[in-house]
Amino acid sequence: MPLSFPYVGTFTYVFESIARGMKRDDIIVPDEPTYRTKQLGSQHSSEFVCTPFKMLLGSIIEVIEKGAYEIVATVFVDYCRLGYYSPLYKIILDDLGYDFDLINLDWFNKIEFFTSFKKLACNVNAVQAFQAFRVGWIKNRYIDQIDKTLYSYGAVEIEKGASYKVAHKLYRQVVETEGMKNIRMLPKIIRKTFDDEVEIDTEAKPLKVGVVGELYAVVEPAINLDIMRRLNDIGVITETPITFTRWIDLGQRMNPFKKWHYKACIKHAKPYVRYPLGGKTRESLGAVIEYKEKGWDGVIHLYPFTCMPEIISRSILPQVSKEHDMPVLSLVLDEHTGEAGIQTRLEAFVDLLERKRNDGNGF
Amino acid sequence: MITNPERKLRVGIPRALLYYKFSDLWITFFEQLGAEVIVSPETTKKIKNVAVRLAPDEDCYSTKLYFGHAMALKDKVDYLFIPRFGGSKKKYVGCPKFIGLAEVLRSMIPDLPEILMPHYNRGMDKHTRIGLLVRAFRLGKIFRKNPFVRIRAISRAFKAQKFHNKTMIIDENILRKWENSEVILNDFPIYNENEKQLKIALVGHSYVLNDPFSSLSIRSLLQSYGVDIITSEQMPRNLIEKQMAKLEYDIYFDFEREILGTIMHFIESKTVDGIIHLLIFSCGPDSIAGDIAARLSKRDSEVPLLQLVFDELTGEAGMRTRIEAFVDMLRRSIDKKVIFLTEQVRI
Repeated sequence: MPLSFPYVGTFTYVFESIARGMKRDDIIVPDEPTYRTKQLGSQHSSEFVCTPFKMLLGSIIEVIEKGAYEIVATVFVDYCRLGYYSPLYKIILDDLGYDFDLINLDWFNKIEFFTSFKKLACNVNAVQAFQAFRVGWIKNRYIDQIDKTLYSYGAVEIEKGASYKVAHKLYRQVVETEGMKNIRMLPKIIRKTFDDEVEIDTEAKPLKVGVVGELYAVVEPAINLDIMRRLNDIGVITETPITFTRWIDLGQRMNPFKKWHYKACIKHAKPYVRYPLGGKTRESLGAVIEYKEKGWDGVIHLYPFTCMPEIISRSILPQVSKEHDMPVLSLVLDEHTGEAGIQTRLEAFVDLLERKRNDGNGF
Repeated sequence: MITNPERKLRVGIPRALLYYKFSDLWITFFEQLGAEVIVSPETTKKIKNVAVRLAPDEDCYSTKLYFGHAMALKDKVDYLFIPRFGGSKKKYVGCPKFIGLAEVLRSMIPDLPEILMPHYNRGMDKHTRIGLLVRAFRLGKIFRKNPFVRIRAISRAFKAQKFHNKTMIIDENILRKWENSEVILNDFPIYNENEKQLKIALVGHSYVLNDPFSSLSIRSLLQSYGVDIITSEQMPRNLIEKQMAKLEYDIYFDFEREILGTIMHFIESKTVDGIIHLLIFSCGPDSIAGDIAARLSKRDSEVPLLQLVFDELTGEAGMRTRIEAFVDMLRRSIDKKVIFLTEQVRI
């Protein structure tokens, strides 16, 4: 049965390599979300459900139209709506009359998790399936590494767009590399390829801006209108601490000495929001302080429209920003967000940061 | 704050959101501790205007109103009571905004009086029932040092809440009687002669149903149209749980279970003429439950479902027309078990 999954930023490559590792030859790789994806999603979902829901629904409909039958989804009971995505997709797609099978990976329900995982890994035995998963999480590290290098090289490259070309070549290379020995070589190759093929301006002193916020809004270029690239184009180095590593990277999770960025952020956020309330609320707040301590210039906070936990962090961010003298730009995104509006605000924000740096202490 | 031993400490409770569920518990608790409880007035246009100006743009309408109520109490009280409540049942959670509300208010309005914000989250943080009592006991220390007084206050408060729940939630027998028009649960409907008697389930959050301003006084409107209503708050819990068990997945928002369960029950039992579902704009749980309800009702469409979305811009005239049209539609539908009233019935 053709297997597919909705498109989620560069994490799609990790999905693809896990599925390939399980010897599924019948995978259908989703396309990048387009205007039609947004339209399809919002047409069939309720009016004020959050934007990731609509985008993922659109993506799922598109892969079903391409012929997929088994679709991987996730159930994650949190304070927010994430846990309802999959059940509601099932109802909506049933009503639309599609023939499909949603496979829910619910980490908190271990029995169900392994039965559905087994369904996915029908061609291989348990050891091979685990090995595929392990290769997946290791490849995820390297995908993250490409992202990180890309967002810093993109700001200082001399020929515009060169590093993006290199990155897209490398993503494919990571997906297609087989054998643990070759995979372990990847970080070196990534570093070398970027060094060799992207000519950078060594004199430039670019601004540094951290991007935090809701997971999907940060990792999916289709919803944030490729904000990383926009920032790179106006000469700003960006970075995001928000990746899938913390969930799927069991290797790092089992390492007691690993210093997690989000744990440090949560500690910083304690005076503002004490208790967990879902999403990345505390992380977004703490990241402002964390980036300040690292000496970065500003933080951009992204969240989708009607996201419940992030509205709370958005309401408290002005206070954090004021108390720690760190400029923060909050952007709310939905399927109607216009490019021009985002671009203007980004340029204004970057101008402000530049002036702040040149004046020493702001205004 | 002036510490005058003669004067009672004043505790302000905004009349919004969870107040409508736990008012008896909170008011009894603070009054038993010898504090003066000041509840903000019913929502008015002035409160709404203050709220809409102050609150974050993306918050749901009910949360925005909370800001207005808190501002109404600002200069009148020594303490504001805004608990960080994350759900009182295992496995189920409330809205994340209930947990963040106190901290958001503290951050956005710096000159508020001190906020009492006990944190209780049985669903996710696995706090125990005893943990709740311990938190209440610690909270009481601000008002009375004497532990026995505090324990008495807690026990009386819980008794009051239990009594409130008991009078609010009906059992299956009474529901059956209501379905057969033997009793009336809410205000007596104003019947006109030779008019078909209608029964409507009014479904929504307790802070929408009981707040005439944010629901545009839909209850009295239905009353004047001669509609007998039952609200989702009153539904027997076991019926709701029975309906929830039919779903393949768990609805983990605590208050949403009540709403969806009521809709599903009446869609299945067909004992009412129609269902009116009140949604609040940009309420997260509502968007999910509303979509599920609409789709389930489409699959089994014998009982009509009207979904109304409220926000601060909702016009009264438009809403009135829709409700009127819905009621007219129900009146004209052909029904075998129609009851015509020739004279008023009293109970």
